[in-house]
Amino acid sequence: MKQFFNNQNLDQIRQFGTFFGLIALCLLFTILSPYFFTTSNLLNVAQQSSIIAVISVGMTFVIITAGIDLSVGSVLAFSGVVMASVLHAGLPIPIGIIVGLGVGFSCGLLNGLLVSYGKIPPFIATLGMMSIARGAGLWFTDGRPISGFDDSFRYLATGEIFYIPVPVIIMIVVYVIAHLILTKTKMGRYTYAIGGNEKAAVLSGINIKLYLNIIYGIAGLLSALGAVMLTARLNSAQPIAGIMYELDAIAATVIGGTSLFGGKGTVIGTLIGALIIGVLRNGLNLLGVSSFIQQIVIGSVIIGAILLDTNLKMKKN
Amino acid sequence: MKNITTHQFSALLLITLLVFTSFSCYKEEFPGRPTVALVVKTLNNPFFNDMQTGAEEMARELEINLIVQAAEREVDVEQQVQIVENLIQRRVDAIMLTPSGSREVVPVIASANRNNIPIINLDTRVDADLLASDNAFVSTFIGSDNYEGGLIAGRYVGEQLNGVGKVAILEGIPGHETADSRQQGFLSGIGEYPGIEIVTSQTANWERNMGYTVFQNILQSFNDVQAVFAASDLMALGAVEAIASSGRDPDDIIVVGFDAHVEAVDAIRRGVMHATIAQNPYEIGRAGVEYAYKVLNGEDIPNNINVEIKLITRDNVDE
Repeated sequence: MKQFFNNQNLDQIRQFGTFFGLIALCLLFTILSPYFFTTSNLLNVAQQSSIIAVISVGMTFVIITAGIDLSVGSVLAFSGVVMASVLHAGLPIPIGIIVGLGVGFSCGLLNGLLVSYGKIPPFIATLGMMSIARGAGLWFTDGRPISGFDDSFRYLATGEIFYIPVPVIIMIVVYVIAHLILTKTKMGRYTYAIGGNEKAAVLSGINIKLYLNIIYGIAGLLSALGAVMLTARLNSAQPIAGIMYELDAIAATVIGGTSLFGGKGTVIGTLIGALIIGVLRNGLNLLGVSSFIQQIVIGSVIIGAILLDTNLKMKKN
Repeated sequence: MKNITTHQFSALLLITLLVFTSFSCYKEEFPGRPTVALVVKTLNNPFFNDMQTGAEEMARELEINLIVQAAEREVDVEQQVQIVENLIQRRVDAIMLTPSGSREVVPVIASANRNNIPIINLDTRVDADLLASDNAFVSTFIGSDNYEGGLIAGRYVGEQLNGVGKVAILEGIPGHETADSRQQGFLSGIGEYPGIEIVTSQTANWERNMGYTVFQNILQSFNDVQAVFAASDLMALGAVEAIASSGRDPDDIIVVGFDAHVEAVDAIRRGVMHATIAQNPYEIGRAGVEYAYKVLNGEDIPNNINVEIKLITRDNVDE
């Protein structure tokens, strides 16, 4: 917390702004609804935000490299149904999860290969994967959901450790690891370098292709982790799951201050962005506001966040 | 500088929110009276709009408060689950639910059960096996029998073709209870006419556009097809457009839909479509609120309430 106040770095001011926005939002809903600021509702919001939050971590890495991943929702659905069929075949739960994560990672890696070696713009490569993974999931299941799992698997959604729901714990662990990777490791520095100035990154001897593959692979892997959480939560894996999740993930990332031009961004910002979207949906629901208005509000918040970015950039220059 | 930007950001947020919440915020019409919620699949489909109208009217008659909510996208069952969770947090007295996924809503119904909030299941049945395995329950199911509707449609097509001919099916999303029951019903109805052959059965995802393209492809591969049953009117209307753009006479191919969508009824009146199955979403909405009210008053209610279903053809379209 102290860092926010002491450091005058623009990114951190931005992050503070987002954080302040989240607090202001919570205050507003606390005033408007007696049901908002209760322990059970706050845990409810955290749990509801957890899946999008986890997917958004991968999105943040990709966007920092000045890329985009439109396939996260489809990859989630495909890895979910593959995992579900492995579980239904009676194999142990860890095997099912590993296979699911493997499918997600492979789809992501394929995105990475198309972007790094194929030189296809990320928008197009992942747009293709979005359709391929969706089709693969539908074909694999004949369009039908795969439902009904053991309680020990569903524990990943229903369980609690010290009153904290397991999905929230998974989310926190993912964010801690991602934050450490981005801020403390070579890979983190390279991620920013690729997005900041790709040519300079090449000239300074960074193996861009390798790192792009890893980063898109991570995005796929985290989509698959989202699939594990969603499947456990709904007790069902649907081939039509995760439609348009890519937009929620992009929104969370952008609200969190990551620049679509690359080279700039933090996962903490993304977490706050995901929570802002979660709190908005929850609060507006509690107030009985129609879903049409909710869409207008969420859109306005995204634009508001970008306006702030442009504003900061102008001041910087 | 820090102050300006943070203020700008939060000001933007607050203004947007205040503007929209202030004029759209839910106001209890009858303070102190029970509040029930209606959660439908989507609010941009006339079927659910009619259901909403019916529910609102009955709520006004019984003087109870009604909240109506739906996810942004019809297929997004996860968001529908979140809405129900939020309504549980809001401690509404009862929830009427039209599930976007008949299996996926079971865990959240179990959660409503734990919080003693009765669930009235409307229109699309929640999966009974999963309910049982989660020890969860719904107070009642109110809706029309989709199987029955499919059966009526099947018999109609059989009669119209005099028991001989080639028929195509446009399916809804497979695995949806509604889609499966309508199709099963249709297959049983048409099964009474052994001279009829089902040449193809493909999904068009409940969508009009897909109904158009899929049926266009069907017309290419099976140009002798004489009838098509679409599990929803939107897909049927797509098929009607495909027939028109192929230059075929609309009387060559019998198109039967489901839902009695206003545009489909109009198409039947204009003679480009043949029949549709009318459910009565308005009545389902009214009955939903009525029975929710009974449950709240501790009355015993039947666990299955059938709302009438009927066939609309060119002969009775103006009734």
